[in-house]
Formats: sequence, C-alpha cells, structure tokens
Amino acid sequence: MIKLRFYYCLLFILVFTPAFSQNTQTISSEIDTANSVNLESVFVIGKSKVKEINESAYNVVSIDTRPLHNTTLSLTQTLDRISGVKIRETGGVGSDSQISINGFSGRHIKIFFDGIPMEGLGSSFQLNNMPVNLSERIEVYKGVVPVEFGSDALGGAINIVTKRTRSTYADVSYAYGSFNTHKSNVSFGHTTKNGFTFQLNAYQNYSDNNYKVKTKLLDVNNGTYSNEEFWFKRFHDNYHNEALIAKAGIVNKPWADRLLIGITLSQEKADIQNANIMQIVFGGKERKARSIIPSLTYEKRNLIVQNLNFSLNATYTNVRNNNIDTLARQYNWKGEYRTKGAKGEGQYSLSEFDAQTAYVTANLNYKLSDKHYFAVNNLYSNYTRKATDAVANSENSTEATFMKRVNSKNVLGFSYLFEPSKRWNTSAFFKYYEVNVKGPVNVSTSTTAEYEEREKSFSTTGYGLVMTYFLTSALQIKTSFEKAYRLPSERELFGDEVLETGDVALKPENSSNINLNISYSNVWNNTHSVYFDAGLIYRDTRDYIRRQIDQRYGGASYANHGKVLNLGVDCEARYFYKNIFSAGGNITYQDIRNMEQYSIDGRKLVYYKDRMPNVPYLFGNIDAACNIHNLLGKGNVFSIGYNMRYVHSFFRDWQSESKGGYITIPAQLSHDINLTCSLKNGKYNVSFEIKNIADAMLYDNYSLQKPGRSFLVKFRYFFFNNKS
Amino acid sequence: MMTKKQIKKAFLAGFIGCLALSFASCDSNEYNPTPTIGSFFLSVSGETAEYIIQTNNLETGNLSISDNNGALEKSGYTWIFNENPSVAVGLIYNQGDPGVCLAYGIKSDTTLTELKQFQIESRFTSYGFFDKYALTSVGGVTPVDESGNALVDGSGNVRSDGATFNFFDLKNLVLTSKTITTLNITGNGDQATFSGIVDMGNGEFLTGMVVSQPKAAGAGGGASSGTITYPDSVWVAAFDAILNLKRIYRDDRISYSSGRFRSQYYSQIGKADDGSVYVFSGSYESATTKPCGALKINKNATEFDPSYYFNIEQETGGYRFRKVWHITGNYFLLELYNDFTITTETAATQYGIVNMGTQKFSWLSNGFPAKNQITATGLPMAHDGKMYFPIVTQGNDPAIYIIDPATASAKKGISITGAKTLNAIGRLIYQ
Repeated sequence: MIKLRFYYCLLFILVFTPAFSQNTQTISSEIDTANSVNLESVFVIGKSKVKEINESAYNVVSIDTRPLHNTTLSLTQTLDRISGVKIRETGGVGSDSQISINGFSGRHIKIFFDGIPMEGLGSSFQLNNMPVNLSERIEVYKGVVPVEFGSDALGGAINIVTKRTRSTYADVSYAYGSFNTHKSNVSFGHTTKNGFTFQLNAYQNYSDNNYKVKTKLLDVNNGTYSNEEFWFKRFHDNYHNEALIAKAGIVNKPWADRLLIGITLSQEKADIQNANIMQIVFGGKERKARSIIPSLTYEKRNLIVQNLNFSLNATYTNVRNNNIDTLARQYNWKGEYRTKGAKGEGQYSLSEFDAQTAYVTANLNYKLSDKHYFAVNNLYSNYTRKATDAVANSENSTEATFMKRVNSKNVLGFSYLFEPSKRWNTSAFFKYYEVNVKGPVNVSTSTTAEYEEREKSFSTTGYGLVMTYFLTSALQIKTSFEKAYRLPSERELFGDEVLETGDVALKPENSSNINLNISYSNVWNNTHSVYFDAGLIYRDTRDYIRRQIDQRYGGASYANHGKVLNLGVDCEARYFYKNIFSAGGNITYQDIRNMEQYSIDGRKLVYYKDRMPNVPYLFGNIDAACNIHNLLGKGNVFSIGYNMRYVHSFFRDWQSESKGGYITIPAQLSHDINLTCSLKNGKYNVSFEIKNIADAMLYDNYSLQKPGRSFLVKFRYFFFNNKS
Repeated sequence: MMTKKQIKKAFLAGFIGCLALSFASCDSNEYNPTPTIGSFFLSVSGETAEYIIQTNNLETGNLSISDNNGALEKSGYTWIFNENPSVAVGLIYNQGDPGVCLAYGIKSDTTLTELKQFQIESRFTSYGFFDKYALTSVGGVTPVDESGNALVDGSGNVRSDGATFNFFDLKNLVLTSKTITTLNITGNGDQATFSGIVDMGNGEFLTGMVVSQPKAAGAGGGASSGTITYPDSVWVAAFDAILNLKRIYRDDRISYSSGRFRSQYYSQIGKADDGSVYVFSGSYESATTKPCGALKINKNATEFDPSYYFNIEQETGGYRFRKVWHITGNYFLLELYNDFTITTETAATQYGIVNMGTQKFSWLSNGFPAKNQITATGLPMAHDGKMYFPIVTQGNDPAIYIIDPATASAKKGISITGAKTLNAIGRLIYQ
C-alpha cells in the first residue's frame, strides 16, 4: 500500500512538473519526425497530420504510432496509454477487451478503421489482435465527434489510420515470447510510375496463454471446491488469429485521385479456459470466427469545381461465429475431469451465427475562400444477423433464434467551419440519425409461441459546436459541445420479442458533452521541449435504455431511465531533451455519479450520487525513454524505455448498497521495460521487452487474472524508399 | 478481493432467546429444553449485485439493503432452505455456464458460515429436497454413452431425452450428478421433463412429468419439451435415491402437473402435513380439455386416489394457476394467471388459498396487494402456520406479506429499503 502511494505521488509529480516550468519563449514546438521514428516507446508530437488534428478545435488526441513499431504492442495496448482511455482485458493474447473513453464503453463509443466503422467486422478483426505496426496514427475523439465519423457515438470515437503513402516500403517483423507467443507482421506497399498502387498487410498472433492463475480447486469426484486458493497453469487457452488486408488500385488519374479495391480476410480460434469467474474452468470449450470484408475506396479532389472534394468508402462484411461446447466432461484446474451423463461442459452447443454488415460512407467538402469550409457526410449501415445451425442450437433456443434480424441505420451530417484567422476558428454541425429495424415478434395467442417479422423506424437529430483560440502560438484553448445520441437497437425496440412489451415509445440514449482544453507546447534552443494538455470534461447522460421485467405484464420490456453525470480531468505532460531523452505521463480522474434519485417505478434509490460501479475512475501512465545515437556506426540507435500503468482500485457494485462488504477490483500497478537496438537508420531492429516486471497479480475485471511477468523479443526489418 | 463476511451484530444475540421461544412454541414438541437459536435469511437484489440480509423479525419495521453481509460474487442464485440439517443452498447456473453454488449454515451467535462451495453439472428447471439431498433436475439434455459420445435415435439424430439430476448431500457436503434417459419412459414413445420434487419419506421421491415428443429443432420457446401428444393426461414418476424408476402414476382427469414459463417448469405437486401428496395441474397447455384441478396420492399409495378429484377452475371462476406452494396442513397457496386465456407471456400476479381437504378456494385479497400493483415476487417461506411472501408493489420497497391461510388474509411485514427485489426468504437454525 505504501509502495502504491509512492508511485501515486510520483505519477502526480511527473505529470505536473513540466507544466510549471514557465517560459515565455514562443518557438515552434515541432519535433523532427524523422528523428522521432527512432524514439522508442514514446509518443512524440509529430508534425503534419498528427499536429494538425491535435490543434483542431475538437477534444482529440492524435498520436503518431510509428515510434512504437519496434514494440509488440497491440492497438488496444497502445490506446491504453492515452489519457482518458482505458482498456480492460480478461486475459492474455486474444482475450476480450473493453475500450472506454472517459467512462463510456460498448455501444456508447465507436471505433473506425480508416474512417469505416468497425462494428460488425467480427471478433477476428478487432483492435486487440492488431499489431501497432498496422497503424500510422490513432485519433481519439472525446465526447464530441466530427461529422466525418457519421455514427451514433454517444461518448466518443477512435479512428485507426493506416499507412497512406505513395512510397515503396516494407515492414517485416517477428516476435517470440513467454507462454509460447508468436506474433508476426508483414506490410508492403508500392506505387508504380503510371499510378498503379498496391498495399498488403498481414499479421498473425499465436499464444498458448499458459500463464499461472490463483484460484480454488474443484474436486471433480464430489463437486466441491477447496477452501484455499492454489496456483495453476492455464491448460486450455490456446489462441491464434491470422489476418490479411490487401488493397490495389490506381492513383493520380484525372477522374480519380485514388480508386482502390480491397479485401480483408481474418480468422481466429480460441480455446475457452474459464467462465466469467476464474473458479469455473473448461477443458474443451472453444470459439471460432472468420470475416471476409471486400471494400472500395474512391477519392476525387476538385470534383467538377475547384475545392470541392469527394470521397466514398464502401465495405461489405460477412462474419461467421461458432461456439463449440460438446464435451460430456467436467474439468478442474489441474486438468482432471469426470465424464458427465450429458453433452456440454456448460450448455451443449455447436452453434453458428452468420452476420452481414454493409457500410457506405460518402463525404463531400467544399472550401469557399480560406475562411469557410462546408462538409456533408452520409453513412449508411445495414446489419443482418442469423443463427444458422438449427440442430446444434436447439437446446435452449426458440423459433425466433433462427429468424433474421436486420438493423439499418443512416447518419447524415452537415458541418460548417469558419476560420477568420489562423488564431481562431469555430465550427457547427448537425447530424440526422435514422434507424430501421426488422426482427421477430411473438404474436401468439396460445401457449405455443408464434413469431412474425415486424419492422420499426426511428429518427432523431443531434448537433454540436466547437471553437479554438491560440492565445499565443504556444498556448491554445479549445472548447466543444455536442448533443450526442445512441440509437436503440433492434432488440431494444422489439422489447423481449413480445408484441405488447416492445411497443413502449423509446427515446435514444442521449448525452450533453462539453470539453474545455488548454494546451501548451514549446521548444527552447532546439534542446528542451515541453508539451502539456489539460482537459475538463462534462458529460450529462440521460435516458439509458434499460431492460425491465415487470411481473404484471409478463415478459421483459425496455424503457428509458437514468441520469449520470461525469465531471473529469485528463492531463498529459511531456518533456524532451533533444532526441536523447523523453519522459511523460498522463492522468485521468473522472467523477462519474448516478444522479437519478428514483427507480424506474418510483422508489428511492440508495445509490443516488454514488460513483458508477465497476468503472475505473483514476488511472494514469508514465513513460520515459533514453536514446544513444550513432553508437558503433552512424544511423544506429540504442534505446531503453520504461512504462508504468496504474489504475486505482474501484468498487464492483454500488457503494451504498454493498456496505456490508465490498467487492473491489484492487489497484493495478505494472511496469514494463524495453531495450531496442536499431541499426542503419531503423532498417534492422531488435527489441527485448519485459512486461509486468514485478510479476504483479493484475486484474482489469473482477476475478479474471491477467498474465504475470513475460519476456518478448522482436526482430524487425523496415525499408522505406521515398523516391518512387 | 473476496467478499468479507461481516461479523453479525452482537447486540442481536440478546433478543434471540425471546424470539427463539416464540419459534419453539410452534414446534410439535411439547417441551424444548434448549431454546432454538435461529435467524431469518433474506436474499435481496440491488441494481448490480445480490446480498444476504439476516434478521430475527419479519413482522414489523424496515431494513435497508445496506444491512447486508456483503456482496455475493454472482447474481441470480436460487435459494432453497433445508430444515434438517439447517442449510441454505444458493444454486446458480447462468447463461449456459456453471456457477459456483453456495451452502450456508449459522453459528451459535447466528452469524452466517459458508459451509461449502460447489459446482453443479447442469442448469436446472426444477429443484427440491429429498432425503438428505438438495436435488435439482433439468430435461431435454443430450445423453451420452460411457465414452462421452451422444446417443442417437433410430434415424441417427442426436437424442435430447436426457434428464440430469444433481444431488447435493447436505449431511456430507458433497455433490453427485446423474443423467437418465426418458425416451419411451411412459411406454408411448414420448420423452419426459420432470417438474417438482416431493419426498415420500420412504426413500423415494415423486416428480411431475411433462411428457412430450422430442423437441423439434429450433422450436419450443426455450423449453426442453416438444409437442405435447396427450394434453389430457397426467403422469407422476416415483424414483429412488439412485434414480431407479419405481413406478409411474397416471390419470386422465387432469392435464400434466407443471407450471411453465419459458424454459422454467414450476412445481405443481406438494405434500400435505398428513403425508398425502396433492398433484395439481394448472392446465397450461392450450390443447387440453381438462380444467385445472388436483388429484391425490395417499401416503405410500401406488396409484392416484380414484375417489379424490378437485376441479379448482370451477372455484376460481375460470382462472388457471401457474405455481403451487404448501403452507400448512391441507392449505396450499396458488399463483393464478391474470387472464382466462393463457399465452406464453400472460402475467400471473393474483393469488388464492386452497384447502385440499375441504376443497375450498378463497381469493387472497384482504390485506394483500391487488394484481395490477405487483411488479415482482420472490420465493415464499412456510413458517409457523403462515406463508411469508416477498412482494414488490409499484413504487414501494420490497416487503414481506404474511399470509394467514385460515382466514385467507394477509398483512404487510418488514420491507427492505433500497432493494430492487427480495428474491427468497428462509430460516436457519443453529444445530
């Protein structure tokens, strides 16, 4: 505990120290991008696009991920180092991970991959599997989301941006580490003189995840658990995933600046070792998924008239998921089992679900002189889900399980940006949301259920305003506001698939989001540079869509209820000494409270003004890196980097309810170290990482222990030719 | 990381003596040399977690949800209470995955003590007590041979006529499971799902049977039975402790004995104090021509009592019932549907008392909430000749209603401020 407090203080000191080093010099804070490529495990404020986005009026964090390409980080682990963002993983490689932005998660935030929503792309193509090398930068929009990301993102959005260069490049890496983990990545891009372009990305993850966990032991012969906890090696948690993203097309033609067709193929297979508490163990359960995603991109600048730009992206996704539980066995953590009399360790299943998602997003923007910018964006999505294998799904299913569900959504956005001078600009936007759902509804008048397909529509309008002002060239303030919505899903609109209960008039979940940011960046004598950003966030979220069971009415229904207020602070600070040393950190505190005084049926709630349970509210990161240049030859860099992750302990349940004994997720503190040797200007790289050096018992979620100390080594070849 | 069980307030101990005397007065024993030390056990749900609250008083006053012993690891336990040995068993099997089931007793200072954690093998749709066991059952499972391969029918399709029973031995605190096949169990080619467990007291238990065709792929409202071929017949099976089928009781005067809601099969059999077993039928099936009613199996009898038939539907004015609980003597509490026609979603929030001896039915209305006020109910407890029934009414905290079967009236007992639901109530005795 004392140790924790020490780190906690250290975190504060490190985060705030640079902020107090006042200096009025106003030198541009641009850091040389070429050099920053060689800085390991540090986020560098690169110039160009990253800087441009960070300086927009939105509360956005854009990071250049290229400096991280020698690490074995996944995209989610990278996101975890951004202020206000928290990743919660349930286990090792391939485990479920939940992303949150300022306390919003799940359906409240949206994730985009090169501007295309990632919803419905399948579990085999998700950020937790993707190597950081796939991305060039990551953008996190907090609370207020530009119309270009046309979606009902109530709490914010994340956009992963991949390489978009006309140069020839090759990036090949392989990593091996503890728990028999293998990760590799190949990316290659080339554009010919006559405008033919080709890009290929392929990656692979493999791990036995056989790390040790501490839990109780089941005696399979008499069905009882030990009173004590023991350490066990995970024995049924193999995971592998493979993906390929290929794009080909033409660039720089009179009728198209870019026209690409692409295909993404991905698959995964995961053994399922435990249930949602560690004590329950499986020895044969598994899941499989695969996705096939063809895509089309078209871009044209100066379409018909000067300064009118058009882009179109379309994807179609076909996802198949299988859940397999066929063993007639009951296992314990020693790997011993007893044969049962019936199929299934849990529920017998060979189930298969197919889902198809289509996205079409079109964007038109127009610049009228240097002061007025207009943009129109439209996103259409269509999501269809169907269970396919009737026999295998039969045990606990209904007829409705096998009926098709369709959710189609259209979001039309319009924005206007006014930039009277380089010192300030402001923008207003509107978003018009429409949703149309189809699904089964029970229309029976007897004791045998009868389902019919029904259809419903829903629409609403959101809006927002953003503004920024440069007090000096080093000091910027920004403010932004959005009235944001999350539209009800097919299941919510149809209630519990019962005709009467689904008829309740639902409102969309909505939130008034306000941000106020101040940031400062400065460089002295091209030697010392600092960056500091502090953001205040305010979120007033209402009308949560809640499932409600009322015995008077039979089945379950959905109703709007709830009011949650979030007042928070995100701070980030960073210091650079030339390109030799850097240190920085961030801290997020979010005070998320239930402000609803009464229950849905009018009873007084004991947890009025309680902190939201099971949501981390204080967390941060610290990192530091040191680089030695030109050792044993010009263009060589040796670096050592350090990272610390801290999450303050939090309650799993409402505090006022569980006074008799709280269940807490304990404070998490972990340290990682990496050493990188980069030769010939980054062409040949070897890095060595130790994660969780102290071998701490880490939990992001109650009971679900994450891996202990691990070692990884990564070899990487990187080739870049700017000439073509 | 784990829930810390708080030591129960010591000051309560003083009251226990007095209260114990009042408990003792209801015992059939003429004298009680040692006063009973006991405590009521309430299972309550908050918004995110489930809790246990102990109390010695169910009659008056308020408790708060925060008066609990700490959050439980999971939510959704089904709590059942055994008298001897006195054990509270929390069964759980959520979303297709096993859960960690809990067994509690109490110590001499009435603090709760966790006796054991165990893992049941399968989900369950019915449960009860038999001999020294807490017993659960589920039908519609895929049976396997000794090497774990699925059994197939004549046409090569995977069978789903298995019924798995979990036996939790409350004396030795161990768990065993067994799966039997039910194909053609009644001799008419159909299979069965079991509903309700009644201890015969002679090493056998009775269980109602829902006899049906195998469940068609992708049909059946989440339940384990398929089409009911004989909706105008009732079957009850008698098993011994190793699941040998001893006999089947059959009759055509009522429909099958089970209340159904989605995947659940609610018990509609119960034993009166004189040892005779009443087999009710709520006539759930739309196809049945039989009114809801009850038959009787006399103590140790091998067939239904041919002279006993109770047409309950006639007494209720056409309302059918879904759940049945024994209160005391010949009194049973019925949970009735709110409409005459039953669909898969019809609500059931009205209640009545039947005296199975005199065949008298009385609506429970005096002092009891109206049917359009009840938003949730919990598992009731029969105690001291009364029924203690957890009820949530619109806009009010969950409360216990104390039902007097003789007068078919009720009064409101304690309520739990801030709780969402009161799931179950039972009593633990220090032994």
